[in-house]
Amino acid sequence: MSKVLTIIRKEYLERVRSKSFVIGTLLGPAFMSMFVVLPVLLATSGGDDARTIGVVDAAGGVLARIEQVFAEEERTRVTLVPFARPGASSQASVEDLKAALQVGEIDAGVVLDADFIGTGKVVFYGKSVSSMVMRDDVLRPALNRILRESRFAEAAVPDSLFNYLSARTDWTTFTVTAEGSEEQQNEEAAFIAAIALIMIIYIMVLMYGNHTLTAVIEEKSSRMVEVLLASVSPGNLMLGKVMGIGLAGLTQFGVWALAFFLISQQGVSVGSFSLDVHFLTPTILVSFVMFFLLGFFLYATLYAGIGAMCNSVQDSQQFQGPLTMGLVLPMMLLSLVLRAPDSTLSVVLSMIPLFAPVLMFMRVCIETPPLWQILLSWALLAVSIWLSARAAGKLFRMGILMYGASPTWAGLMKVLRDR
Amino acid sequence: MTIQPPDLPGLGETILTLEGVSKAYGEKRAAQDVNLRIPRGSIYGFLGPNGAGKTTTIRSIMRIILPDSGRIELAGRPLAGAMLDHIGYLPEERGLYRKMKCGDQLVYLAELKGVPRRDAVLRADRWLERMGLADYRDKKVDSLSKGMQQKIQFAATFIAEPVLVILDEVFSGLDPLNIELLRDMILEEKAKGTTILFSTHMLAEAEKICDSICLIEGGKVIIDGPLDRVRAEFPLRSVRVAWEQDVTPPEGLPGVIRMTRSEGTWRLTLGEGADLDALLHVLTGLGRLTLYAANRPTLSEIFLEAVARHRGEVRS
Repeated sequence: MSKVLTIIRKEYLERVRSKSFVIGTLLGPAFMSMFVVLPVLLATSGGDDARTIGVVDAAGGVLARIEQVFAEEERTRVTLVPFARPGASSQASVEDLKAALQVGEIDAGVVLDADFIGTGKVVFYGKSVSSMVMRDDVLRPALNRILRESRFAEAAVPDSLFNYLSARTDWTTFTVTAEGSEEQQNEEAAFIAAIALIMIIYIMVLMYGNHTLTAVIEEKSSRMVEVLLASVSPGNLMLGKVMGIGLAGLTQFGVWALAFFLISQQGVSVGSFSLDVHFLTPTILVSFVMFFLLGFFLYATLYAGIGAMCNSVQDSQQFQGPLTMGLVLPMMLLSLVLRAPDSTLSVVLSMIPLFAPVLMFMRVCIETPPLWQILLSWALLAVSIWLSARAAGKLFRMGILMYGASPTWAGLMKVLRDR
Repeated sequence: MTIQPPDLPGLGETILTLEGVSKAYGEKRAAQDVNLRIPRGSIYGFLGPNGAGKTTTIRSIMRIILPDSGRIELAGRPLAGAMLDHIGYLPEERGLYRKMKCGDQLVYLAELKGVPRRDAVLRADRWLERMGLADYRDKKVDSLSKGMQQKIQFAATFIAEPVLVILDEVFSGLDPLNIELLRDMILEEKAKGTTILFSTHMLAEAEKICDSICLIEGGKVIIDGPLDRVRAEFPLRSVRVAWEQDVTPPEGLPGVIRMTRSEGTWRLTLGEGADLDALLHVLTGLGRLTLYAANRPTLSEIFLEAVARHRGEVRS
């Protein structure tokens, strides 16, 4: 056991003292916060560029109404250009508009029916898919509103009645926790915090899992491995490595967590979003640490097994792919689980050990699943770690002395089947 | 599970026993029924051509690979776990952590052999001093020359004060100065009662230093024992002769099966049961002899003959 500690100590110190660790620890939060802050900033800025829209207002008077609506909505980046050749038919104006669209004077064109209030008919001319976004998100709501208001006005509905009829529902959201207390939550903040934590799990597991792969390959390429195996068993060597590297990862996370805590005490906010420590319930914190550790150990042992079979990082690419997919896939499935966290599909997907660190943790964050499901996913993870550690140990003993030949899938399977 | 001095067998008694050790890789039998008894305090040459099964046997001893069958004992106890700490091992494929400091490297490797940390630090300093590398303690291995790196490897092999040292093809790739250094270290260790098992395919190198040898071919031990006894088993095989005048010896000399000439001397290869006295008598009759020398069989000759014999047995 003391030998395992010796290996842990060496692997840990080697990593923690390295320049890349120090830099990564300092810059990590900057990158992380970019993931969190950037979408928020983009969302609040609206993201639309200046657009010019040609309008043929055959009905007359609607153009002014649109301008009025845009002014109310503070949509200053959209410019409306009237197309109306004096004395000519509206048909000629439409031709002018199309020509202008072709040469790029305008980004899109709208032709309003002569009896717009009566028929509600609008013809839209666009150039690309992005102008469709303009049509659906900007023009349609504005024109809908104008149509509605005009018809109410025509029907001589008084303003008070109009306001009464067009009222929207007014929502306040409470989340009832298992303890029975009800809390008013900043959902957006909770959601973003959940995504941030998942990103941390994803990046750390991927990064530090990969560390074990390179560490094992380095040991092979420096021809150290045979000297080491004369002193320690392959299992203990792998255990020491994986734990040393895992501890380094935890240390890095610990530094970040501390910094995060200190910053959140200061009450920093970005745009409308403020750090909400409130969201971090004990269940989520414990789950985070568990999924981080279990996920790391699962992927690290798998990566170590692959490393034992390969002579260079290039060699390992073909085997790394499927493993990396195991982490990327759940990131792609996130939205699916997010929409229906309790559906059978979500439950099954989040139980798959390779996916659990991301998907089950997501479920814990957004809507705490029954305790048995969390415990079951931990148990499944633990079992697969045990299995993959055994397989990796086997690969270690066989593969670690194989120099020269590049490994193949067939060779890998053979080693695993052999005694 | 450690070996205390009273547990160690006396000098000359068996310290390492291999019984029926076999290992196959698929169809290929790398080691077949290898039996060895290595006496304590000896320098034991484990000899054979490349691919004979030397490394497989050694890796089985070190439990780097697990043999299919057979028993391996150190000082009368099954070799496993912490017992391995008493064996120093320098494999053919050897290296160092390139980015690690020399001192740290020795400390780490000593710790992995079960030396307590504080002790390991002291020993590392002592060994660096001894190897003339004291100034390099805090330098990374990267900055050392190949020869210096080899010295660090030697130090790492001996630092845990093992009772048995296994050196696999250790002379290949060493510079002449380090061959000398390693030979001195081996002799010094032997004087302390350490047993050295060393494998090589360079038989001339082995001949200079070994007390006992074992020849292995095709995964099987074909000769085993103290070097002088092995030699006695292989009688004289040739004589070299020269005359004052230029004489070409006639065909059909008694007991001679082949004659070759090189640099003014003749080498007469003898057949089984050749009568040296009768041969000398005939040779003196041919002219004034200036050279009549018996060629002691070299290890490579012994080896070649043993392999030929072994293959003959296998075939018949």
